[in-house]
Amino acid sequence: MSGLARRLVAGLAGLAGLLALRATSLVPHGDAPSHALLRLSWSARPERVETCRELSDAELAARPPHMRLRTECSGRFASYLLTVRLGAETVWTDTVRGGGLRNDRPMHLVRDLSVTPGQHPLQVSLARLDSAGVARDTSASPTGPLGDRGQREADERRRRAAEALPSLLVLDQATTFTAGRVVMVTYANEQRQFVLKTGGVP
Amino acid sequence: MPLFERLALRVVRALDAACHRLFGWRWNPLHQSGALACLLLVVLIATGLYLLLFYRVGTPWESVQRLQAQWWLGRWMRGVHRLASDLLVVAAVAHAVRMFAQARSWGPRTMAWVSGVFLLLFTFVSGWTGFVLVWDRFGGTLALAGARMMDSLPILSEPLVRVFQGERPVPGAFFFINLFLHIAIPLGMGAGLWLHVARLARPVLLPPRGLSVAGVIGMLVVVLALPMPLDAKFDPFAIAAAVPLDLSYAFWLPVADRLPAALAWTGAVLTFTAALLVPMLTRRARAGAWAPSVVDPATCTGCEQCPQDCPWDAITMVPRPEPRGAHSALVAQVDPSLCVSCGLCAASCAPMGVGPLHRSGRDQIPRIRAFAREALQVPGQVVAVTCENAAPGQLTALASRGAVVYPVPCTGNMHSSVVELALRGGAAGVIIFSCPPRDCRGREGPTWLEQRIYREREAELQARVDKRRVALATMAIGDLPGTLTAFTTFRQRVAGLVPPGLDPSSEMEVACEPPAPHVGAPT
Ligand code: HEM
Ligand code: SF4
Ligand code: SF4
Repeated sequence: MSGLARRLVAGLAGLAGLLALRATSLVPHGDAPSHALLRLSWSARPERVETCRELSDAELAARPPHMRLRTECSGRFASYLLTVRLGAETVWTDTVRGGGLRNDRPMHLVRDLSVTPGQHPLQVSLARLDSAGVARDTSASPTGPLGDRGQREADERRRRAAEALPSLLVLDQATTFTAGRVVMVTYANEQRQFVLKTGGVP
Repeated sequence: MPLFERLALRVVRALDAACHRLFGWRWNPLHQSGALACLLLVVLIATGLYLLLFYRVGTPWESVQRLQAQWWLGRWMRGVHRLASDLLVVAAVAHAVRMFAQARSWGPRTMAWVSGVFLLLFTFVSGWTGFVLVWDRFGGTLALAGARMMDSLPILSEPLVRVFQGERPVPGAFFFINLFLHIAIPLGMGAGLWLHVARLARPVLLPPRGLSVAGVIGMLVVVLALPMPLDAKFDPFAIAAAVPLDLSYAFWLPVADRLPAALAWTGAVLTFTAALLVPMLTRRARAGAWAPSVVDPATCTGCEQCPQDCPWDAITMVPRPEPRGAHSALVAQVDPSLCVSCGLCAASCAPMGVGPLHRSGRDQIPRIRAFAREALQVPGQVVAVTCENAAPGQLTALASRGAVVYPVPCTGNMHSSVVELALRGGAAGVIIFSCPPRDCRGREGPTWLEQRIYREREAELQARVDKRRVALATMAIGDLPGTLTAFTTFRQRVAGLVPPGLDPSSEMEVACEPPAPHVGAPT
């Protein structure tokens, strides 16, 4: 082979190598899906389940100043029964709790469920399992040995209760599932209800 | 491990042979894989700087789309950036496999190996951030895959995947962090590279200019002919299908998708740990062929040649302990923890005062004498000195053409007196076949050999030797025609010379004796 021909072969071989490399950088992954997905995805604070008792002024006075709370509560965070139904079929049910070892953190839920495309009556419900002693809006007296701390205490309890999940959340809606697309059920903290998202495209 | 090394060596040799046939050994990119990786880092930084000018963390995909619309510059800058990043992985892996196959992964090379493993890891992480920056379907898929892997660890209380699943727009801060990492990691790799080659003398950081230019032009031609497409923007509400994966960076994704996260993590951690442990697993006893070099202080004249030649800076000149008598003030000293036993120093030393056990100049003299006595019986024979790592098939072919093959551990380890003694012992000529220079396990063997034979580098081939009877050639695996042509051409050349027996060179025998060590005080 002449020098020129050799160089030409070398150049073409080099280009072929680079083209092969380019091909390996665009390898299609994943088959066209024949199913749709129902995605459950939210973060929410579970309610506090507790038994509370109002302390008398004498009891409060006996405590060190930094431990004076008008309402003394003990309890835990609620757990919920999550049920997902498509038409008459229950496709998923589970008990869900707050995060962390003591379940005192927000509940984070991420779950994808495969769904046959088409229109289905979709029902997602999240129902509190623990019924007794859910934290109430206690209106502590702003007077007494606590001064305005009693008020702040009451405000804080009200705020926490407002941030927490309602005892029952239900989404019930005929929903169209398209092959290859995701329908998401999420929890809107401001409206305190489930909302459906489809990404704006069918 | 030896089994894996042998397997890897087979692969390396097969690929080398193919490259030698296609490109010739001078242009074999596999010999230059480490230097090519450095060049690609430079290309990536240069093209990346341009891309940075147009990238917007607030509208990532849209800004790449605008770049892609710049048909005159942006599109091909992006294409070269992408192709170079793929080539970087290929070059770094090829380089690592070569080092492993050639048993260059342990002992004094441990730091180079371990830092290399981290360089490769950083290459992957930096590539990951780069693909995510584009926020096309592949970028989103990678982000989700990374988030799923993180979520499987009990570190974060809130699942990371929710960030990418469409509940809310992905925050700009995420792209900012990615961009920061994408720039910071390559800068860190610069420091890593310094550590990687810190122990080498004269590291070769760039390939020969021709190969560099050809490589860059080749990438340009490919991206101009077939521009790198920009895939659709990542849609969290679409189930990923036919996402164009970049296998250099996401080869693991199809596997990890099918495995439980714990298993995928185990696989990744085990692979990384195994890569880090290679220096321990491939370590040899420092004896026999792996014995470090030693200096004979009585012979060393303090000429300071061996510290200049050692490719690992393992030799320093130190003051001689008193009393030094007739000796030089300085004497060479080998640090065994830095010495890779390449043996190049043995050929540096005119008085033959340094070298690994059984491979110093002094050890080589009786061996070549015995060889000449046994093998050089017929006048006119040509000795072909070959490296131990040469392809056996090519040695057999040489022998079948009448060459008297004399294998040495490395031609850079061979003292020039061996050539002289072979001629003196009756050889009509000596042709020395070295490995291609960038494939020498001793890094600089063929380079120093050429300078010792032709350019009077210490310890040079003596002027009294008829240089027409000596030739240097390269024996590249797979290039049998090249080897045979070099041999037959040389044999024809020496056949036309006056027979050596008629040449007056009476002093040669005496001159080739290793000088007696200097002993005692001056008179
Ligand atoms: C971005 C990645 C890398 C770059 C840019 C790079 C670059 C280099 C360069 C320029 C050299 C010096 C070559 C010479 O002058 O002879 C070298 C040597 C070396 N590299 Fe790498 N390298 C990379 C990755 C790796 C990896 C992944 C490994 C192994 C896991 C590795 C192992 C080594 C070893 C052991 C040496 C010493 C070679 C010897 O025996 O002399 N490198 N590298
Ligand atoms: S054998 Fe000699 S040249 Fe090679 S590393 Fe050791 S001291 Fe340096
Ligand atoms: S080459 Fe030989 S003489 Fe010169 S410094 Fe090294 S050991 Fe000493």
